[in-house]
Amino acid sequence: MEDQELTLPAPSAGFAFASFHPAALLCYFLGVLLIAMFSLNPGIALISALGGLLFSASLQRPGVFWGSIGYLLPLSLLIAAVNPLFNYNGATPLFHLNGKPYTLESLLYGVLIAVTLIAVFCWFRCYSLILTEDKFLFLFGRILPQISLILTAALRFIPLFQKQYQKVRAAQKGMGIYSAKRFSDRFRAEIRVFSSILVWSLEHAIQTADSMKARGYGSGKRGHFGIFHFTLRDGLLIGMTVLLVAISLVAMGVGALDISFFPAIQPAPPSFLSVISYFCYSFLCFTPFVYEIKEKLKWKFFISSI
Amino acid sequence: MKDKLLGLLPYLCILVLIPGVIAGGVLLFPDRSYAWIALSVAILSFLPLVVRFEQKRRAVQELVVLAVLSALSALSRVMFVWIPSIKPSAAVIIIVAIYLGKEAGFIVGSMTALISNFYFGQGLWTPFQMISWGLVGFLAGILANPLRRHMVLLLIYGFVAGFVYSMVMDLWSVLWMDNALNLSRYFSTVLLSMTVTVKYAISNVIFLIPSWFLGRILGRLQTKYGLFPKKKKACPGN
Repeated sequence: MEDQELTLPAPSAGFAFASFHPAALLCYFLGVLLIAMFSLNPGIALISALGGLLFSASLQRPGVFWGSIGYLLPLSLLIAAVNPLFNYNGATPLFHLNGKPYTLESLLYGVLIAVTLIAVFCWFRCYSLILTEDKFLFLFGRILPQISLILTAALRFIPLFQKQYQKVRAAQKGMGIYSAKRFSDRFRAEIRVFSSILVWSLEHAIQTADSMKARGYGSGKRGHFGIFHFTLRDGLLIGMTVLLVAISLVAMGVGALDISFFPAIQPAPPSFLSVISYFCYSFLCFTPFVYEIKEKLKWKFFISSI
Repeated sequence: MKDKLLGLLPYLCILVLIPGVIAGGVLLFPDRSYAWIALSVAILSFLPLVVRFEQKRRAVQELVVLAVLSALSALSRVMFVWIPSIKPSAAVIIIVAIYLGKEAGFIVGSMTALISNFYFGQGLWTPFQMISWGLVGFLAGILANPLRRHMVLLLIYGFVAGFVYSMVMDLWSVLWMDNALNLSRYFSTVLLSMTVTVKYAISNVIFLIPSWFLGRILGRLQTKYGLFPKKKKACPGN
C-alpha cells in the first residue's frame, strides 16, 4: 500500500500478432468487437468468447490469465442468475419468487449476456496488450496533433511525477511532518505533497514548453517517428477483416442470425447464410490465436534445430 | 480548405453522422440497438469538441500545462488509493475548468480517463468515462463565475457531478444488458452501487475544500505567463 506505482503493461514487442501495422490491428479489433458486442446470437457469442479466451491466454502468463478468469467467472455467473429477477418474460417458469416467476428463458438470456461479457472483456484485454499507447499515438498523432501532443507529454510526465512524489514524501517523512497516525493527518500530509508536486510540475511544464519553442516547435510541419511499415500482410489482414465482418453483418441484417427469447426461445431456422457467417466469424476470431501459437512453435523449433 | 472542411465537421456530425449511425444500428442490430446507439453517440459527440480544440492553434505552453494537469489528475487516482473509492481526479478536473476555461476542463477530463485506462485497462467503459468526465469539466467551465465566487455552489456541483457520473455509468451497463431501460434493474444497480457513489460524491466535496490553493496556483500561472486568456484574442507565442 505504501508505494503504489503506476506501470504501463509490458511492451507488446514479444507478441507475434503485434507485429502487424497498428491500422490493421485497430481495424481487426474493431471488427471482432463490433460483431461480438452487437449480435445477440448464442453461436456468435460462444465463438467470440472462446476466441477471446484462447487469444488472451496465449498473450498472458498463466497466473495472470487465471486470475482474471477467477474474477470474471463469478461475476458472469451472478449476472446470469440475477437476470430472471428483473425480467419476468418467458413461458417456462422454473419456480416463483415473491410471487414473480423465475423463467428458464430469462435465465438463458442472462447466460447469453454473461458469455458476451466474457468475450468483450477478453478481447479488450487483448486490445490493451497488443495496441499499446505508442501505436495509439501513431494512429491518432497525424489527425489530432495537439491532443496527441498532450497525450504523449502526459504519458511521459507520469513516471517523472511518480519519482518526484516519492522524493517529496520521503523528504517530508524525514523532516517528521508526514504523519500517518490519524486519518486527517495523513490526508493533510498527502494534500501537502500533492500541492508541492503540482507547483514543481507546472514550473517543469513551462520550462519544457520554452525549450520546445526554442527548438522550433510549431515553426513548421511536425514530423513523426514511426517504426511501423504498412506491408502486404497488413493489407491482407484488413481485407480479411472487412470481408468476414461484412458477411456476418449481412447475415445479421437479413435476420439469419436472429433469435428471439421471449416468450419462448425461437432461433431463426439454420440457413446457408447463417452457417457461412458462423464459419467466417470463427475464422476471424481464431486467426490471432493460431498465428500466435504458430509463431511460438516456429521459434521453439528454430532454437532446437541449432 | 482543410480548415473549412474541419469547421463543417461538427454540423456534419450532428446532422448526418449521428442520425445515420442510429438508423444503421437499428436496421442492423435490432436486438442491441440501445447499446449501439449509446456507444456510438458517446463516441461521435466527441468529434465537435475535439475538432474545435484542434482548430485553434494554441501556445505550446498551454498544451504542456494541459498535459501536466492530465497526468497529475490521472496520477492522483493512485496517490489516494489507500482510501477506497476516493479519488481526487474529479475535483482536479473541476478546478482546472473553473480557472482555465471549459475547453481545458473538457480536455483534462477526457484525457484523465484515457490515460488512467492505459494503466488500469481499456474497455467498453473508456468512451463513457471520457465523455462523462469531459462533460463534468466542460460544464464546470461554463458555470465558472458562480462556482468561483461561492464555495457552497462549488461543493454542491462536485457532489452532484459525482452522482451523475456514477448514474451515467450504471445507465450504460443496464442498457447494454437489457437493450431497454429496465427500470427495476436500473434502480437496483444504482442502489447496489450507492455506497460507492456516495463515497465518491463525498470525496469530490472533500477534495474541493482545499481547492483554493490549486486555484491560486493556476491563477498565478495565468497572470504570470498569460496562458489561457479570458478574452478571445490571439494566443501569445507561436
